[in-house]
Amino acid sequence: MSNIKKIFIDKKISKSELENKNNYFEIFKKKGFPNKKLEDWKFLDLNYEINNQIPNLNFVIKKSKINKNQILENIPINIKEFNYVLNINGFVEEINFSHEDKSFINIETNPDKKNKIISNALENLNLAFNLDYLCINIKQDYKVKKPLLILNVIIENIKSSNINKKFDIFLEKNAEISVLNLVQNNSKNNFFNLHQRFILNQSSILKNYFVDINKNQNLNYIKTDIEIEKNSISENVVISKNSDYCKNEIVCNLLDQFSSAFINGIIDLDNSQKHEIRTRINHLAENTKSYQLIKCVLNNQSKAVYQGKIYVDSKAQKTDGYQSSKAILLNENTEFNGKPELEIYADDVKCSHGSSSGNLDENKIFYLMTRGLNKNEAKKLLIDGYLMEVIDKITDERIKAIIKEIIKI
Amino acid sequence: MLEIRNLKATVEKKSILNGLNLHIKPGEVHALMGPNGSGKSTLSNILSGKKGYETSGDVFYENKNLFDLEIEERAHKGLFLAFQYPLEIPGVNNNNFLKTSLNAIRKARGEKELDAIEFLKIIKQKAKDLKFEEKNLNRQLNVGFSGGEKKKNEILQMSILQPKLSILDETDSGLDIDALKIVSDGVNSLRDESKSFLIITHYQRLLNYIKPDFVHVLKNGRIIKSGNSDLAVELENKGYEGIN
Amino acid sequence: MREKEIDKLKEYKYGFTTDIENVKSPKGLSVDTIKYISKAKNEPEWMLEWRLKAYERLKQIKEPNWQKPKYPKINYQDLYYYSAPKSSQSKPKNLEDLDPKILDTYKKLGIPLDEQKRLNGIAVDAVFDSVSVATTFKDKLNEAGVIFCSISEAIQKHPELVRKYIGSVIPITDHYFATLNSAVFTDGSFVYVPEGVKCPMELSTYFRINASQTGQFERTLIIADKNSYVSYLEGCTAPMRDENQLHAANVELVALEGAEIKYSTVQNWYPGDENGKGGIYNFVTKRGLCKGDHSKISWTQVETGSAITWKYPSCILKGDNSVGEFYSIAITNNHQKADTGTKMIHIGKNTKSKIISKGISAGFADNTYRGLVDIFPKAKNAQNFTQCDSLLMGNKCGAHTIPYIKNRNSDSNIAHEATTSKISEDQLFYCQQRGLNSEEAVSLIVNGFCKEVLQQLPMEFAVEAQKLVGISLEGSVG
Repeated sequence: MSNIKKIFIDKKISKSELENKNNYFEIFKKKGFPNKKLEDWKFLDLNYEINNQIPNLNFVIKKSKINKNQILENIPINIKEFNYVLNINGFVEEINFSHEDKSFINIETNPDKKNKIISNALENLNLAFNLDYLCINIKQDYKVKKPLLILNVIIENIKSSNINKKFDIFLEKNAEISVLNLVQNNSKNNFFNLHQRFILNQSSILKNYFVDINKNQNLNYIKTDIEIEKNSISENVVISKNSDYCKNEIVCNLLDQFSSAFINGIIDLDNSQKHEIRTRINHLAENTKSYQLIKCVLNNQSKAVYQGKIYVDSKAQKTDGYQSSKAILLNENTEFNGKPELEIYADDVKCSHGSSSGNLDENKIFYLMTRGLNKNEAKKLLIDGYLMEVIDKITDERIKAIIKEIIKI
Repeated sequence: MLEIRNLKATVEKKSILNGLNLHIKPGEVHALMGPNGSGKSTLSNILSGKKGYETSGDVFYENKNLFDLEIEERAHKGLFLAFQYPLEIPGVNNNNFLKTSLNAIRKARGEKELDAIEFLKIIKQKAKDLKFEEKNLNRQLNVGFSGGEKKKNEILQMSILQPKLSILDETDSGLDIDALKIVSDGVNSLRDESKSFLIITHYQRLLNYIKPDFVHVLKNGRIIKSGNSDLAVELENKGYEGIN
Repeated sequence: MREKEIDKLKEYKYGFTTDIENVKSPKGLSVDTIKYISKAKNEPEWMLEWRLKAYERLKQIKEPNWQKPKYPKINYQDLYYYSAPKSSQSKPKNLEDLDPKILDTYKKLGIPLDEQKRLNGIAVDAVFDSVSVATTFKDKLNEAGVIFCSISEAIQKHPELVRKYIGSVIPITDHYFATLNSAVFTDGSFVYVPEGVKCPMELSTYFRINASQTGQFERTLIIADKNSYVSYLEGCTAPMRDENQLHAANVELVALEGAEIKYSTVQNWYPGDENGKGGIYNFVTKRGLCKGDHSKISWTQVETGSAITWKYPSCILKGDNSVGEFYSIAITNNHQKADTGTKMIHIGKNTKSKIISKGISAGFADNTYRGLVDIFPKAKNAQNFTQCDSLLMGNKCGAHTIPYIKNRNSDSNIAHEATTSKISEDQLFYCQQRGLNSEEAVSLIVNGFCKEVLQQLPMEFAVEAQKLVGISLEGSVG
C-alpha cells in the first residue's frame, strides 16, 4: 500500500487533515479487511472475498472525463422530478435541490470535522479515502418536498478499485426528508464502501432506502448510523439484490422517549451471490419502539445472512421491540444463516423475535395451480407476494414506485 | 363430462378409495355424501391433481384421460375445486390473484386477457351478487378471513372462472344459515345445461338449498348406494349406519 | 410464622459439610497427578494412555473466553483433582460397609441409599467427590441385562464397551474443559442397555461435592443398544463454601438404531451467597449421538444452582429419522450467571429437533440462551422448532438470547420464536386477591411459565423441581 500523502498530494486539504487521514489509514492497515474470526463477520468473510475477487485492490481514484448527460440517460429514472446528488466514481458531480426552498437547506462539502476514533476497520478506510464528504442540514420545521436521490454511478473503466463515500444528514427539530440511495455500478470487481449518518432531532422524520440499480459483479459495504431523538421516526428499507457481495450494517440509537426505528429488508439472490443485513437497535430510553422484518429468497448456490440484535438498556422500560426474519430456499446448495439476538436489562418490556426458513409451501403451489397457473407462475406469484409484504413497508409512495420498477415486482 | 371407472387410491399403503364408479353428465348436479374418513376429500384431491396418492382405474374428463393433465391444465379446461380449507396466502392481493387466475385460464382457452378495468367491472358485480364485501377484495388472499368469508371467496372465484365442472368439498361446513344461502344462490345461479357440479358433503343441510339430480353414498372408499334427492332425506333420518 | 418458614427456605438447605477423612491426589495438574488418578482407580494401560493424550492436547489449547459469564482466572495448579473418602478406598461390597457418615449425608440430602427406604423404582449411583460410593438395585438391573455401575468399575469389567464408546461423542480434541475432563476424570456413571430392553426402572446419579479446593470431573457414558429405552436422572448439590469450586463433567450418550435415551438433570449446586461470594463453576459438556436410524435423545434440565453455569447439552442427529429434544429451565437469582442452550446438528434425513428454553432472571443475575440449529445439505426434510422465553424480575438483571440458525437444505424447515416478558402486576394482584402471598404468587406464575419443561421430568422429580423453582426465586420480589 502506498503512502497516503502521495495520494492526496494534488488535493487542497490541510496539513492537519492529511495527518488525520494518514492515521486512519494506519489503523486500517493494522486491522486489515474484516475476516471470519470476528463474530460480526463470521458468516461472510470480506477479507476472503476481496483477496479472491480483487487481489490488486486500488485505493486511488483519479477524476476522469465523463459524459454526464449520457450517464443520466442510462439511469431508468427521470431524476429531474426529484432532488438529487450525482456522484460519479465517488466524486460529487452535481447537487440539485431545485424543488426546494434553499434557505432551509445547508450543504457543506468536506467540513472540517473531528471524527472520534473508531475501531471498525472499514470506517477507518472510509475516513482515510472518502472523496467529497457531504453534510446536508435540513432546518427546523422544513419538510423536504421531493425525495432526495443519491445516485452513485461507477463507470466502466474503473476496475479493481475501492470507492469510499461518506455523507451526513442532520434533521433539525420537526424536519422531514426521504432519501433513496441508488448504486449503478457499470464496472466490475470494485469495492464500494459507503458510510452514512443521520441525526434526527426532536420530532423529525427520516425515510431512508437503498437499492442497487443493475446486476453487477462488485462488492458493497454500507454502514448506516442513525441517532434518533425524542418523538422522531426512522424508517429504513434495504433491497439487497444485485451485486455479488453486499453487507448492510445499520445501527440505530433510540436516545429519547417515543422515538422509533423501522428496518425492513429484502435479500433476493441467485447464482452464488452472498448478502448480509446486520442490524443493531439500542433502546436507550423509555417508551421506544423498534420493528424489523427481513425476507430472503435464495436460488442457485446463493447465501444470505441476517444478524439482528435488539439491546434494551435497564433505563429503557416499556420498550417494544420486534424482529422477524424469514428465508425461502428454492433449491439445494443455498444457505441461510440467522442470528436474531436479544439482550435485555429491563423487565417491563415487550420483545420478541421469530425466524423461519424453508421451501415454498407445496399446498399453496397446488392451490394456485388448481386456479390455472403453471408451476413457475405459481412460484413467482408466491414469491412476489412474500416480498410484497416488505415493499409495502415503504411509506413514501414515490420511492416505492421507483423501487418496484427497478426490481420488477 | 366426468366418468370415473373403478378408481382405487392408496396413500402411504393405506387404501382409501376401493373401486369407485361415478358418471356425471353435462348439466347434472351430483351430491356425494359420506361419513368422516370415507374418502370424500381424497376424491376431490385426486380429481384436481394433488400429488401423493397412488391410483389405479380410469377417470375421463370430457372424454380425455384426466391423469394426463397437469393441475393447472385441469383448471384451464374448466375443472374447479372449492377447497374445504382454503389456504391463506400472505402478501398476495385477493383481486390481483383472481385476475391472474382468470387471465391464465382465458389465455389457455384462446380468449383475450382482460385489463384491470374490464376485470374490475366483472369482479365488482359478482362480489355484489354474492354479498361479498368489497373491502375483502383488497385484502391479502384469505389472510385473516373468517371461515365464512373464506368459503364465500371460493364461490366468488368459482363464479368468476365459470368452470364446467365444479367440485365443492364440504363447502357448507362451518357456515351459518345466511352464508349457506349466499353460497347456494351462487351455485344455483351458475347452473345451466352445460355446467355440472359434484357437491361433497357430510350433511343433508346444503341439499335443502341446492337440489341435486343424484345423491350417492360413499362408505369405505366405495359408492354403496345411489338415488335421487330422497336418498339424502333418508340418510338424514337413518344415519350412515342405516344404509346398506 | 410464615416469614420464619420462608427465611428457612431461603437458605441453601444442602449447604452442610460432612466431616470425613479424605485421600487426595497431590495438588495441581501434571502427568504425575494423572498417573496417580489412574493408579488409584487401578486402570488398564490403554486408559492411562488415553488420559495422557488428552493432557498433551490440553497443553496446546486455551480456555475459551467467548461465553458471556466472565470469571476470575482459575489456577489449575491450586486444585485437587482427586479426593475420595478414605473408607471407600476399596469400594464397599454392601451398604453396611459404607462409612455411616456418607450414608447419613445422602439421607440428609433426601437420597436414601438403603434399599428398604428406596425411592420408588429408582436405581441410584451415588458419587461423593471423586468416587462412586454406592449403586443400588444392581441385582434387579442385572436380571434385565442392564449394566449400571460407576465408570471406574466399567473400565475394569466392561473394557470392550468403554473403549469402543468413550470419546466417540466428545473426543479428546474437543474444547478446553472437555479435554481437561478427559485427562483427569475421576468417576461417574456407566449405563449399557442391551438390544430390545426397556430399562425396568429410572436410573439416577447423585453428585455431591464435599471436599474443599477440589474440582469434580466426572464422566458419564450411556449406551442404548438397538431398540432399547432408558431414562436417566442426575442431581447435584455441594456444601456452602466461600471459595469457587470447579465442576467440569462430560456426559456422552449414544443411541443406536431405534433406541431412546431420556436424560434429565436437576442441578442445584451451591450458587454462592446473596453477594455472589462462593459457589460452583459448573462447566459441563453434554452431548448425545443419535447414531442409528429412528433413534431419539431427549435432554431435560432444571438449572437452579451454581455461581456460573455454562453448558449446552447437544444432539448430533446422524441417523435418518432421528429425533433430538432439549427442554430447559434456567433460573438465576442474586449474582448467578447462566449461559446455556443446545446444539442440534441435523445430518440425517427426516431428522427432527425441538428446543424449549425458559430463562428466568432475578436480582443481579444474567441469563443467556445460546443455541445452534444446523441443517446439513443432505438432511432432507429436517425440521426444527425452537421456542425461547425469558422472564425478568427487576431491572438489575439481564436476559440474552443468541440463537444461531443455519439452513443448508431447501427441503427443511426451521422455525424459531422468542419472547421476553415480566410478571404483570395484574397477575400478581389477582393471585394475591385469591389469598396467595407474593412469593407464592410468583412461584405459581413462574411454574406456569415453565410448565412445558416441568412436564418432561420423571414424575418423582417433577414435584421436587417445582418446589425448587419457587425456592430459587425467594426474595426476588419486593
